[in-house]
Amino acid sequence: MQDDLKTEQLARINIYALVSRILMNEVDETLLKLILEDENVLSFFPSFEKWEKRKTMSNKDLIEKELNVDFTNLFLLHLIPYESFYTREDQQMETGGDNPVQALYNDFDFTVELDKARVMSADHIGVELEFMHELCSSELKALEDGEEKIAGEIAEIQYHFLKEHLLEWAPMYLLNVKSEAGTALYFDAADLALEFMLSDFEYLTELKNRDYKYEALKGEE
Amino acid sequence: MYLQSRRTFLKGAAFSVAGVAIARGVFSTDAIAESVTESKFTNTPSSLSFYPEHKDWDNFAELDGTDWKRGGIGRHGVKSAENPDGIEVNNFMLVPTVCSNCEAGCGLTAWVNKDTMTVRKYMGNPLHTGSRGRNCAKGYAVTSQMYDPDRIPFPLKRAPGSKRGEGKWIRTSWDEAMSTIGKKMHDTLKVGDEMSKKLMIYHVGRPNENGFGHRVPHSMGVDGFDSHTNICSAGARQGTIQWANDDRNSPDWANADLIFLQSSHAADAGHYFQQAAGNIADARKRGAKMIVIDPRMSNSAGMADLWIPAWPGTEAALYLYLANRLLNEKSKNGEDLVAHDFVKEWVNWDRLMDNKDYLQKMIGYGYISKMPKNDSYEEFIELLKELYAPYTTEMVARECKLEGMEHKLDQLWEMFVEGGSKIATYFWRAGPIGHRGGWMNARAGFLPLALVGAMRGDIGGVGFHHNHEISVAGKGDKSTVAGERPPKVDVWNEIAWPPEYPLSSYEMSHLMPHLLMDTEWQQKWIKKGLNVPTKLAVWYPRMYNPVWINPDGFRWIEALKDETKIELSFNLSPTWSETNWYCDYILPVGLAGERNDQQSTPSKPEQRIEFRQAVLRVAAEKMGWKAKDPTRATLEAHMKYGLGEIWEESEFFPNLMVHHVDPDGSLGVRKFWASKKDPSRAVTVPEYFDAAMSLLPRLKETASRMYKDDEFPVYSYMRDHGAWTEKTNVYKPQEEELEFDGETYFAHGKKYPKAEVEQDKFGTLWIEEDERKHSIGIEINGKLHTGFHTLSKKLDFFSEWFAEWKWPEYAIPIYPRNEGEYKKMEHIVTQVHHSMMKGDNEFALNTVFRLPYNIHTRSVNSKHLMEISQNHNPVWIYTKDAEKLGIKRGDAIRVNITDTVSGLDSGYFVAMAVPTEATRPGVLACSHHAGRWKLKDSVNIPGFEHALGIMGVGAPKYDMTNDGKVGTLKPAGGIKPRHNVWQFKEYNKDLDNIWWDGLSGAWQNAVAPTHSDPIAGNHAWHQKVVIEKAKADDKIGDIVVNYENNFKVYQAWRDQLTRPLEAGDKLRRPQHIKRPAVPLSNKAYAVEIKA
Repeated sequence: MQDDLKTEQLARINIYALVSRILMNEVDETLLKLILEDENVLSFFPSFEKWEKRKTMSNKDLIEKELNVDFTNLFLLHLIPYESFYTREDQQMETGGDNPVQALYNDFDFTVELDKARVMSADHIGVELEFMHELCSSELKALEDGEEKIAGEIAEIQYHFLKEHLLEWAPMYLLNVKSEAGTALYFDAADLALEFMLSDFEYLTELKNRDYKYEALKGEE
Repeated sequence: MYLQSRRTFLKGAAFSVAGVAIARGVFSTDAIAESVTESKFTNTPSSLSFYPEHKDWDNFAELDGTDWKRGGIGRHGVKSAENPDGIEVNNFMLVPTVCSNCEAGCGLTAWVNKDTMTVRKYMGNPLHTGSRGRNCAKGYAVTSQMYDPDRIPFPLKRAPGSKRGEGKWIRTSWDEAMSTIGKKMHDTLKVGDEMSKKLMIYHVGRPNENGFGHRVPHSMGVDGFDSHTNICSAGARQGTIQWANDDRNSPDWANADLIFLQSSHAADAGHYFQQAAGNIADARKRGAKMIVIDPRMSNSAGMADLWIPAWPGTEAALYLYLANRLLNEKSKNGEDLVAHDFVKEWVNWDRLMDNKDYLQKMIGYGYISKMPKNDSYEEFIELLKELYAPYTTEMVARECKLEGMEHKLDQLWEMFVEGGSKIATYFWRAGPIGHRGGWMNARAGFLPLALVGAMRGDIGGVGFHHNHEISVAGKGDKSTVAGERPPKVDVWNEIAWPPEYPLSSYEMSHLMPHLLMDTEWQQKWIKKGLNVPTKLAVWYPRMYNPVWINPDGFRWIEALKDETKIELSFNLSPTWSETNWYCDYILPVGLAGERNDQQSTPSKPEQRIEFRQAVLRVAAEKMGWKAKDPTRATLEAHMKYGLGEIWEESEFFPNLMVHHVDPDGSLGVRKFWASKKDPSRAVTVPEYFDAAMSLLPRLKETASRMYKDDEFPVYSYMRDHGAWTEKTNVYKPQEEELEFDGETYFAHGKKYPKAEVEQDKFGTLWIEEDERKHSIGIEINGKLHTGFHTLSKKLDFFSEWFAEWKWPEYAIPIYPRNEGEYKKMEHIVTQVHHSMMKGDNEFALNTVFRLPYNIHTRSVNSKHLMEISQNHNPVWIYTKDAEKLGIKRGDAIRVNITDTVSGLDSGYFVAMAVPTEATRPGVLACSHHAGRWKLKDSVNIPGFEHALGIMGVGAPKYDMTNDGKVGTLKPAGGIKPRHNVWQFKEYNKDLDNIWWDGLSGAWQNAVAPTHSDPIAGNHAWHQKVVIEKAKADDKIGDIVVNYENNFKVYQAWRDQLTRPLEAGDKLRRPQHIKRPAVPLSNKAYAVEIKA
């Protein structure tokens, strides 16, 4: 496996993990520390990096008085981070097993621990992004095992999941988050998630156009 | 384009922490159980109002509630031997019943798990055409009431040798209780004199049934029924009685173009609110406008098109202002705004114009300046124009304290006119019960509605309740040995109906302790020739808690503790209560799914009944179980299936009467309760209610067809469906044709030969029956109609009988037109009028608004309702008023109550202030539905291993002192999380999560003196208060009451404001405005007062 492909995969795994985590639950001190202390991570949050309030508050205060308040507004109260809300005509959330995203997870023998996730249903933006993270991890494992065909199949699942699910609604939601965000962190997080998903979809489209042949993809570069 | 920036994302590969450690990690890779694909269960119903088809109700499998929490069967599969972690399937029987947490009587279904014989949840009943499958929070909370950890598990008796109120109890049995109580009742009745028929009072809180309770004293020949109505809604009823001789109006919300509300009652929390609110929402979706007149910005007011924060108690002026404009202005097209066709035909203007004496009186009162030229309708309208001309915009802005809001009055006017005749209203609590003269609120309020024709009872307008309600619960006579109703009762009980209040809408029940303890009053009337009781042999409340909810609670405590005044008392109560503490017996009775009652609620223009049932009994019987004693089947079922020794009245009273009160039939009572089928025993629930509900012809016909092999087909139908709609679209019932075949009139199920019917000059048809005249119909324009329930058969703008009964100046809708008339017309001026507020710290306290989740005493220990009702009852104070007094949000304040008739102070309660724009200047708001208390956390019962908790979820502990003059209450400890629940553990695993301490309200009812409206008789709830910041040692919840003063306040209102019976009076009360509950004979009505 080529190093640059591995780098690409690791980057995808990590960024999906990061955005899924931020968009699923409130920031805790561990996560905040990671964001602030890892310059690679912090570089994805340019406004937050410059945000004055961040510099004048303790991490604890920042979380309790700013970030969690904003999270509550953006994810619990005023915006609805669930696919079914955006895709169903009646704007009802589908919380049971009839949720098509839940059904898709089931098809791949994935189960979402909603109690651990603390979300209402499996089509929460954070859960869908973590699903992408899981798929990318599996894809990397297949590549490392030399199973390029299997890796390609997993990439195809990613392509379809992005096209038919995440990109069908998440951009609208994330644009709303950007517009409503009261803190630089969530503004940047929404921007990152949006940019990254679109970028990743172009990447996957390219791979698809090459029949999921990794060599061909890399060869052109 | 994104690929160009993709390189930046490659930095992601260099995170110092791997993605797997950053991600939340919510995915696992369990293989899905095969049962998913094989299962027939739907993960999510297609609508929120999902109910299975009725044919599946006896046997319906549904996934357990944890299904939703765990992501559906998709994640865990269906539970089976092979898949023990799967979602459990409940094998349900849906048994219909009726909510009992308020008067709305919304349909419920109890979802009985047939394997465990427990109720897992209560949902709505889609067959109930009023509630339409929906419920409010109180409906869904029934499960938490049923399996309340502090449920009283068996009958309790005051420990021998202890005093009432000491809190010492022993366990007893229903049989012992019936034996002791029955003997006392037997011995009382056996004396056989007039007094023996006055000494037992059945005191019913929210009845939620239609007549069974009335039958209890009635069958004993006793005048002994007290309802809670005079602290509830008697003011509005009085205004309605005067207009229509009906108990209440009944609007057609859904089809109205204007929803016209005084207070939040119909849409927020009050009578029939869940059903009314749904219909109001339907109307508004269609485009109807909503006006709310309320000093407080309730939820309804907040959502209304127009909120008019009139000063409380002055609303009558506002209504007469509308009348003035309707009479004296024209529409945009230059047409009259008065619906002359309706008014001319259906309002009794002709009797007013014919009554020259009264017209002269009106001149004397200054209402009009001259006699009308003639008796014509046109002259009547001219008279009205002059009569109501003083109620101008300026006058009403001044009187209702709406200065600066004149534009709102114009908006009100425009919306009212646009509503045309499709205006729906419901005058009920709030204004009519809050004030002296509150009844005039309703009386005046109906006038503009009558003028525009909305009182015709047509589509979208206002009808009357008796046309929309079916009361047959007291009429199961055919199942009994007697086979007919008990005869009328021959005595009059002065404790329930004292001679000062002959026109009281309902019993003066809130004065019961005062009258029992007021020996001076008793002796005064004894000297005047009345046989006044000086004590009660038995006082037996049912689901009633007057110690807490009635005004002057310490007086109640004094009376209940006095064994010379009340010799025996027992409370049929589903929960612990403040009143139970002072009774001899606490007999635990059923809640919504544990009772058998016929109910009917007039929530829309239809006629419907609902049937409340003991659902465990019904489920068990349908599964083949048979009670050993069919007359005690409900009790047996509750004991067998672990609910405890919980019984209910429709089995208790028949057994009490047949075996204990009158075992040998010598008192003439037994035959009304013994079964016709087997006279050796009491009547059973199926026997009795089948007979009662068979009085509905369409129901009987349908049930007989569907259940033709059943012994009790109507009972079977109601058992399986829970609700029945006998008739829909009940509009304009007064216009129904009075049947006449040329020789005979047919009215009220009777025949009247033409020769015996006399028609007066106004067209009213009269017959002589039972030694007095009754009207049976009216001829209008050559057509015979049944008419309204009044003597005139029309709507009484002029209440002739009211004028004859000592109150002529108020026999038409009227209100003081200027300050000079406040004193002259003091009977209809509120005790909290703004003219009585002198200082910045003096306010009117608005007490009468309900909290939708916390209405009645019986819901005290529902954990679900308690959790959502915490800290919701502060004292609302207008922001600028608070600023002036330096009061901030959260401050504790003393609220001192002072009486504006006697000038006496009652004491104070300490409460939390919340400055808000949502109450008008000068008016505080604090609902009187909060402030529960207990004196002990639990009681130990000798021989029973567990301590019985007392309202451990709903009421904090207080310390009490009372010495006969001054009473105090001080918080001693809040509610705490519970860890050791001994009963219903499965339902109470979350009690260690209790976060509330319950210390957010004060028992303000105890501080409030009782002051009765001199005419309608109701307690006038609002209070003049003087507020100050709390003192250093004060705690929220403290109360200090001078109840010696409160006694004097009751006397002052009674003696200074009423017009009692006097020498020369021949009747206790006008016979045509019936006394509710127990029908009385002419002998009972007759009176002679010595000079």
